[in-house]
Amino acid sequence: MEETVMNVLAEAIGTEADQLDADLELFEEELLDSFGVISLLVGIEDALGVRIEPTEITREEISTPAKLIACVQARM
Amino acid sequence: MFLLEALKKHAVQIPERCALITAGERLTYARLWERSEAFASYLNEKHPVKDPVMIYGHKEEDFLCCMIGALKAGRAYIPVDITLPADRAEQIVADAHPCVIVDFPGGGVGADSGIPVLGADALAQLLEEYRGREVSSHTWVAGKDPCYILFTSGSTGRPKGVPIHCDNLTNFAENLYPFCDPHEKEEVYTNQISYAFDVSVVSVYIGLSLGRTLYSLPKTLTENMAALMETLGRSDVGFWVSTPSFAELCVTSALFNGELMPKLHTFLFCGEVLTHKLVDTLRQRFPKARIINTYGPTEATVLVTASEITAEMAADERSIPIGEPLPEVTLLVTDETGKELPEGERGELRIISRSVSEGYFRRPDLTQKVFFETQDAQGKTVRGYRTGDACYRLGNQFYYCGRMDFQIKLNGFRIELEDIESNLMKIDNVNRAVAIPVFDGEKVAYIAAFVSLREPDGLPPLKQMLKIKEAAKAYLPSYMIPRKIVVKDRLPVNTNGKADRKALAAELSRP
Repeated sequence: MEETVMNVLAEAIGTEADQLDADLELFEEELLDSFGVISLLVGIEDALGVRIEPTEITREEISTPAKLIACVQARM
Repeated sequence: MFLLEALKKHAVQIPERCALITAGERLTYARLWERSEAFASYLNEKHPVKDPVMIYGHKEEDFLCCMIGALKAGRAYIPVDITLPADRAEQIVADAHPCVIVDFPGGGVGADSGIPVLGADALAQLLEEYRGREVSSHTWVAGKDPCYILFTSGSTGRPKGVPIHCDNLTNFAENLYPFCDPHEKEEVYTNQISYAFDVSVVSVYIGLSLGRTLYSLPKTLTENMAALMETLGRSDVGFWVSTPSFAELCVTSALFNGELMPKLHTFLFCGEVLTHKLVDTLRQRFPKARIINTYGPTEATVLVTASEITAEMAADERSIPIGEPLPEVTLLVTDETGKELPEGERGELRIISRSVSEGYFRRPDLTQKVFFETQDAQGKTVRGYRTGDACYRLGNQFYYCGRMDFQIKLNGFRIELEDIESNLMKIDNVNRAVAIPVFDGEKVAYIAAFVSLREPDGLPPLKQMLKIKEAAKAYLPSYMIPRKIVVKDRLPVNTNGKADRKALAAELSRP
């Protein structure tokens, strides 16, 4: 699961999964914007069947790869 | 000027109705009239030469008052969004020579230009000082006076200005009113897009002239979906105007439906490809609302086609049509020589209409390339514009099939890929840059750039990308900065010695 999430995230950012540190600040570094978040959530739903309602999360909850994985895990 | 005449009437007949709601603040028609009168009085007194007014900001209440005030003082406004970096804003200042700059965030635009700059506080003070002063309707914009100049991406890397005059706008409004229930009544329009993009002209010129309330949805709201849905839920919006991208963002929330927005009866889309997927979703979520698709370049005043999307069109496997020409508009699908092609054949779309601009601001060289004049059926001269859009026609409906050059639409923004490239090449260590659109079906999903460096920097790929993105912020607005940036030792070239875009695009689609 973690690998899948990292691959989807890397795709949404435009990089490779091996470039992403667990604590990389995705919004502070401007790697994700509103449209980036949407492609991330859609990508996660397509790959894992886990739907995250965009209104149910704040940017803070998915601000690093580690937090994002925890967020997906909690919904599996 | 039809908008000013309508506003004058509204200020007397419906003075307490809201013209604009921004972040909970309510601007009534009486106050919009009064504040725009004050700004116009100031302009006429202090800046008698009718040079344009540049307004830098986002969705501030007084942004609208300044726009209307400029029109009353017989001059154009140049709306510039805060997403534009200082370097680019300064280019507009240098090209447009505004008589005054209103700088809402106080970012220091035009500070070295010698042009007077009004910050938000100075403006508020000035509007207080001139309060109660009135201007005569003789000073209003009329006929071929430009009303606004929008600066759009230019292939040389420098934005180019498109002036739209009063007669263009009158023609645009007369063409579109039949789609908007042209009776004075209480109704709320969305006011989402920055005033620097012309989709906003629908809400400002059609909405305000009909006495409607514009509901601002500032950019910050899109960063918080829960707040966005909550705001939409209490907005009472009946007439939705936006790019398809903004609606696509909204539909990712399951809350966005007819129960959240029971008054919503019309979606009017403009600015980019409307996909079947969005149409299908909206038809399910808002069964009572009609969906109108429109099409038009900034050069022809916002839009020149419109059609309600029928069940047949939604079920058709062809793309969603961009609509049929509005009553006064002639659209021709032509070959390279300008000869009209038969129905069903692909060619460049040419627009002939009284909505076509006089040409690019102080750029006769660029104007000559794409604008032309022709005779209408009555022998009167009308202007025409070569869109660079590849289209075909079936019956009265027109279908879009992409660009004939390197211009793209991303999330509703019009972007010249060469503009991105020449600005990336301004970055110190960047030698060459090639920007490539990455498609998701018929829409551009994001932009990728391939870059070669002058000196190897020894950084890992993500760090390289972040460094270039950070440096690009000095030259490009955020929506033009490529999502993906790949550094390569050498960029492939084709037999003509030009960057091999096909090879680079193939590299992106490789799994």
